[in-house]
Amino acid sequence: MINRPLAIAAALILLLLLPLVLQGPYIRHLFILAFLFAIVAASWDLTLGLTGLFNFGHIAFFGLGVYTAGILTTQAGVDPWLVIPIAGIVAALAAFVVAAPTLRLRGIYVVLVTFAFSQLCLQVVMSQGDLTGGAGGIVRVPSLRISDYNFARDQRLGYYYVSLVLSLACIAALVAIARSPLGKTARAVRDNPEYAAARGIDQMRIRLTMLVISAIPTGIAGALYCIYFRVAAPEVFSFSTSTLILTMLLVGGAGSIVGPAVAAVGIVMISEYLEQFPDLKATKHMLLAVGIILVLRFFPGGLAQISANLFARSPKTVGVTPERVP
Amino acid sequence: MADIIVSILVSGLVLGSLYALMASGLSMVWTTLGIFNFAHGVSMTVGAYVAYEIAQRLGPDLWVGYSILLALIVMVVVGAAFEYLLIRPFYGRDDMVLVTIMTTLAGLTFLENGVLTIWGPRLKQLEPLIPGNISYGLVNISRQELIIVLVAPVILLALFLVLNHTQIGRAIRAVGQNQKSAQLIGIPVTRMFLVSFGLAAALAGLAGMLLAGVRLMTPTMGADPLMKALIVVIFGGLGSVGGSIGAAYVIGFLEAILIFTVGIYWTPSMLFLLMVLVLLFRPQGLFGAKNPSSL
Repeated sequence: MINRPLAIAAALILLLLLPLVLQGPYIRHLFILAFLFAIVAASWDLTLGLTGLFNFGHIAFFGLGVYTAGILTTQAGVDPWLVIPIAGIVAALAAFVVAAPTLRLRGIYVVLVTFAFSQLCLQVVMSQGDLTGGAGGIVRVPSLRISDYNFARDQRLGYYYVSLVLSLACIAALVAIARSPLGKTARAVRDNPEYAAARGIDQMRIRLTMLVISAIPTGIAGALYCIYFRVAAPEVFSFSTSTLILTMLLVGGAGSIVGPAVAAVGIVMISEYLEQFPDLKATKHMLLAVGIILVLRFFPGGLAQISANLFARSPKTVGVTPERVP
Repeated sequence: MADIIVSILVSGLVLGSLYALMASGLSMVWTTLGIFNFAHGVSMTVGAYVAYEIAQRLGPDLWVGYSILLALIVMVVVGAAFEYLLIRPFYGRDDMVLVTIMTTLAGLTFLENGVLTIWGPRLKQLEPLIPGNISYGLVNISRQELIIVLVAPVILLALFLVLNHTQIGRAIRAVGQNQKSAQLIGIPVTRMFLVSFGLAAALAGLAGMLLAGVRLMTPTMGADPLMKALIVVIFGGLGSVGGSIGAAYVIGFLEAILIFTVGIYWTPSMLFLLMVLVLLFRPQGLFGAKNPSSL
């Protein structure tokens, strides 16, 4: 049995001090990427895992964040710092748009609409070449800086801390939401919609709220992703990005919020390590796919389930398979 | 003006036929197993590449007869293996719909990248079954497209007859309607799952082979037809194979009209909007059998 607050504090201090040990731009790049994907995975978990909303278009919010940042900074000259919150707002608005047709639907129909929405975003991006650069994307997005200090300097030290702080803030907020009455209500809607309705819970409102909330951090992460890489490319909407994040979510344990964020770090490391070998690009995606199936088959609760047995006070997390009350 | 209308009709007919081949399999798997197979589009890709490989080995002259048959048999095996590995282990779980969405998505990623690994990213094309074009009055159509237009209804009619008038087809439909009762009267339910997955993969593969004679083949060629098939099944109502086929032609014509009116770039958005409207006002589909339990 490990003391939980102590473990969290230790992890935070470790993450803050890590750049002292990790010298070199590449290893820091890995962590920056991991922090950004941790936000996306954890916020996707809020709808897919916690609320049981079959949202398969989450990647669209990320991509919209990326392109909001890319378009506003290069074409409207908006400051990169300002673009980050704007991207969150744009993603939230997009969530409203997706929510409108999906709220009344259940199950597979939600999957179809959300999935179609993400594909639609890709198609619009590809076709509006004047604005988005089409298949080539947007390049030369300005970097984050304070007066003259470029955040990419000192081996990306600035980006390390910006992404770390944003990631911790977003995940803390998501955890707080998951534990709040709203989060509990969402869980009730997932586990027993009939009973939840009987207790007077407005399911449509819960789903809408959760979808919008989950879109905000995702859009923010997308904007930072774009500013950090200094490009916006249509690949962000692709299946492979979606699969990558889905793997994080499942390995981490759907419904646990923190689990997917932790898994994101490990999976980004593995995935980027394999990225060094260009020949293995396809193999990497095949491995991720096999990983998804194996996790679903043998560890449906993911890492969260395993750590739940480790931490004494950790709340019981439920995997993708909630036990239904008869 | 008349020539524009004729060419819209022709291209709508070609698109509709392709979508009908795709959507019927998707819809059949949904009715029997209650599974939405995201890998259905990639089955099409695999079918095209398998046919390509066979044509390479046996020579393009031979490919018309044996190769198609051989490729279809391969597709049935691929489909059945897919069911056995990715669907069967999760059968009977509460969250089966959600889990199988993820496993079929994983299967899609796996197969797409598998095709990429084996055949590489370079564009390929199958020899058209019959090369050349036909012009008749205002109608101008390539022979390959004509084959698509003629073959699709034949195949779909055959599918309809199999589903409605043979023992195996009735068994598939019985499993779709009520699994427990089907099992009680001695229908081998799990075998029916294999059959419908195999059949669906073969249908998609056939669409892929036909399309690969008109367009270029890439490992991601199945993505767009899957997207269209998805709109088609929503339009026609998920639970009905017949509805999907009808909707496929409607969507095909609509797409052809939209391409002429709003242009190729805005067509996907318009179709998406249409799908949203259908979902809002008639979630059971335009020709859909009322099946609120699947909603």
